[in-house]
Amino acid sequence: MKASREILVLVDKELEKRWAPALKKGAYKISFKNDPRRTAEEILSSPPGLLVLQESLDPPLIFDLVKALKNNLNLAILPIILVIKEDIERDWFALPVDDFLFEDSSGEEISSRINLAFARAHRSADNNPLTGLPGNTTILKAIQENINHQEKVAIAYVDLDHFKPFNDRYGFARGDEILRMLARILSNVILFRFGPRGFVGHIGGDDFVFICPLENIEEACQEIIRDFESLLPSFLDPEDWKRGYFEEKDRSGQRRRFSFPSLSIAVVPLFPGRFKHYGEVSAVAAQVKKMAKKMPGNSYFIDRRENPYSPETKN
Amino acid sequence: MNDTKKKIKKRLRNLQSLPTLPPIVAKLTKLIGDENATAPQIAALIEKDQVLTGKVLKMVNSAFYGFPRRISTVSNAIVLLGFNVIRTLIITASIFETMQSNDLSLWEHSLGVAAASGILAQRLELQNPEEVTTAGLLHDLGKVVIRSEFPELYQKIIALVREKKIYFLEAEREVLGLDHGEIGRLLANQWNLPDRLLEPIAYHHHLEKARKFKKEASIVHFADIMTRAEGYGSGGDPWVPPLAEKAWKLLKLKEKDLEEIIPVFEDRLLELRFFTLEMRNESLKGNTRSG
Repeated sequence: MKASREILVLVDKELEKRWAPALKKGAYKISFKNDPRRTAEEILSSPPGLLVLQESLDPPLIFDLVKALKNNLNLAILPIILVIKEDIERDWFALPVDDFLFEDSSGEEISSRINLAFARAHRSADNNPLTGLPGNTTILKAIQENINHQEKVAIAYVDLDHFKPFNDRYGFARGDEILRMLARILSNVILFRFGPRGFVGHIGGDDFVFICPLENIEEACQEIIRDFESLLPSFLDPEDWKRGYFEEKDRSGQRRRFSFPSLSIAVVPLFPGRFKHYGEVSAVAAQVKKMAKKMPGNSYFIDRRENPYSPETKN
Repeated sequence: MNDTKKKIKKRLRNLQSLPTLPPIVAKLTKLIGDENATAPQIAALIEKDQVLTGKVLKMVNSAFYGFPRRISTVSNAIVLLGFNVIRTLIITASIFETMQSNDLSLWEHSLGVAAASGILAQRLELQNPEEVTTAGLLHDLGKVVIRSEFPELYQKIIALVREKKIYFLEAEREVLGLDHGEIGRLLANQWNLPDRLLEPIAYHHHLEKARKFKKEASIVHFADIMTRAEGYGSGGDPWVPPLAEKAWKLLKLKEKDLEEIIPVFEDRLLELRFFTLEMRNESLKGNTRSG
């Protein structure tokens, strides 16, 4: 998911006429579109570097489009500027755009706002360049916020095990593909199900984190594992998939078997009073990870110590 | 290269949208508005329309998502794209180009071939039968392109089939200089579809050209003939074309296999007939309303 310097401006003919002269003076490649229905698919399959959307063209569709891009693709790097009529009352939490402008703004104003949006996106680029997911600073902030607000959530550490043999066999380009695949699964399961109550981050390499409500953690883990199992074969060569494992010769010429990549999810429940600082969470996570990795294949392990929500007490 | 061939290639590069079936889009829009709708339900309905399926696969395999030529089933595409993207895709799906009622027989043919491909793939214990089903569904995309982008040439082909009593495929070559398999190949390439889909689309009439996915191409060929023999939908020929020797040899199907497969296929066709009849009626209603 690379950012381009292309700006797509989806507005009616009248605004295009008014804004085009000032915008075309800028250093960016500008393309104007007028029909939201025809343009939506294009935007979703190859998003530009920045989007300007006129809400009044088709309010429900524009809303859907913003949500599809921001919540789902995790494109925090794609700034969206919404062009609105005079009515300024909006639920900006539900409509995650980066800035807004009025339809009667001048071409100079929109041009300047665009530059500002690019500058801002550059400053907050904590996102992992490979997956577009938020990186460590944001992850730590998210965990600490949940501690502070005494939320009953689960912090889940997702590891892609046996990633190295996969990389060795197919090369790093396909290694990147499988990391992106996992990132998409996590985003779609967690952010779609839980909206703003969910969070997904990429620590780096084959390590990911997600946060979701504690009562939903098991179903979330199961769905993630199911999706991963269904997608993995598409990233393997047919003959490997058929065999069921990788086979490579080691230095002494011996044939050795290597497992396919698999997921291990280590879950640390957060409930009021258990932790004060995110550092404590990582310490517990390290122990839980060891347990999760001991289980073969795709697995999740929930730390049940001092956990009032364990199924044992429920049954 | 002759002029028609050049023209077709150029048109493919600028292809905007292909016709979809309005009643299916309407059903999908309703389903997607329903909070309880599940991804498999949505996938099953998208898989009833070869153009919608093509759109979804084109999007998930586009360079932007970062795994080009990997994804070959709608259910996996939904997992990767997410609900919001699928929703927007359906809402904006071809309200511009809708299928005419005389396109319906080709659509039925594609559904029949998809079903037969899946049954064969399962019987032959292929690793992923769902994938072969998708290949069957998309196998005649080239014909959809000819029909919607070059309606006059399409009529010429039909006339030639009648006049000279030749197969549709031969008539295509005579009129266009290339056939629907080749057009399908160009399209699948442009859409970044994986080879496991591209080869059956491109070579279901030229099994000898398939490289990595010979079995899949042979299954789609076999399914094509099976569906025509059952008289479900139409692939454009008044007669059932012969089964390629190579497909028999490659698949190693026995008489006994066929005895067991055919009743399963006929049951499946019965279900499909109900569905396509409903859609036919819906789309006729739509036509009279708007016309």
